[in-house]
Amino acid sequence: MARKNSLLIVDDEVNVTRTLQMVFEQQGYRVFPAYSCAEALTLLQNGHAVDAVITDLNMEQADIGLEVARVAKGLASKPVVVICTGFADVNNARQALLLHVDYLANKPVDLGELTGALRRLIELRAVNRKGRN
Amino acid sequence: MPAPPRIAPQKSALIVHPDVGVLSQLQGELTKNGVTAILARDLPSALLAINQHYFEFALVNAKISEEGDGWSLAGILRLVFPKIFMTMIAPQTDVLTLRSAINSGVDEVLESSATPASIAKTLIQREAPSSGTRVQ
Repeated sequence: MARKNSLLIVDDEVNVTRTLQMVFEQQGYRVFPAYSCAEALTLLQNGHAVDAVITDLNMEQADIGLEVARVAKGLASKPVVVICTGFADVNNARQALLLHVDYLANKPVDLGELTGALRRLIELRAVNRKGRN
Repeated sequence: MPAPPRIAPQKSALIVHPDVGVLSQLQGELTKNGVTAILARDLPSALLAINQHYFEFALVNAKISEEGDGWSLAGILRLVFPKIFMTMIAPQTDVLTLRSAINSGVDEVLESSATPASIAKTLIQREAPSSGTRVQ
């Protein structure tokens, strides 16, 4: 049986998290929701390996989602990191670029664009990890 | 018998810009710093170069033939060379530009007003491409 790709969705708006969870579960992902940066960091730092992280930017504090991105980018498993925000500005977008965030999606999210980008990035990650043999 | 001296392999950069003057200046600056520059003025030449060479660096103008086509080329470059250090030259660095940069796998955005010398310096300072952590 094929292994399901796993996804951590971080957003303090429960409706957003649940909607994204429903969408991605329908697409065959195993989804772990987190409703704050602190909750997400606990999951990531406890060895919870996921293939991708989708995080909001403004939760407990403005731009705290960048901390989720920073920690995820530092993991050995190198998950795909997507920031999903309605409050992108030059400062936080520049920081996301420096962190090598893989995708920046604007809210309201275009689900077709987000699911397509995530699928492409996860497949690319798998190919890069295996190497071209 | 003494071991033959080690010669570090020269790094290669792809430069894609519609202006021959800018291409020439950038090539001069990079060559001075020991980087081999492959030049392309249009998309077909850039794709040919991608097919025939390995690049550690790329420098792409946001507009090659049409507004914004440089971003699509950047996306292709990231797919073909996952560890490349890629710089985009754009008219400004606003949120939309930075978003395009992230979503196309670009590492750095420089404004069109930057001098060829400062653009080349940005590239040269990246001895070890840092983009290995980027998935795209």
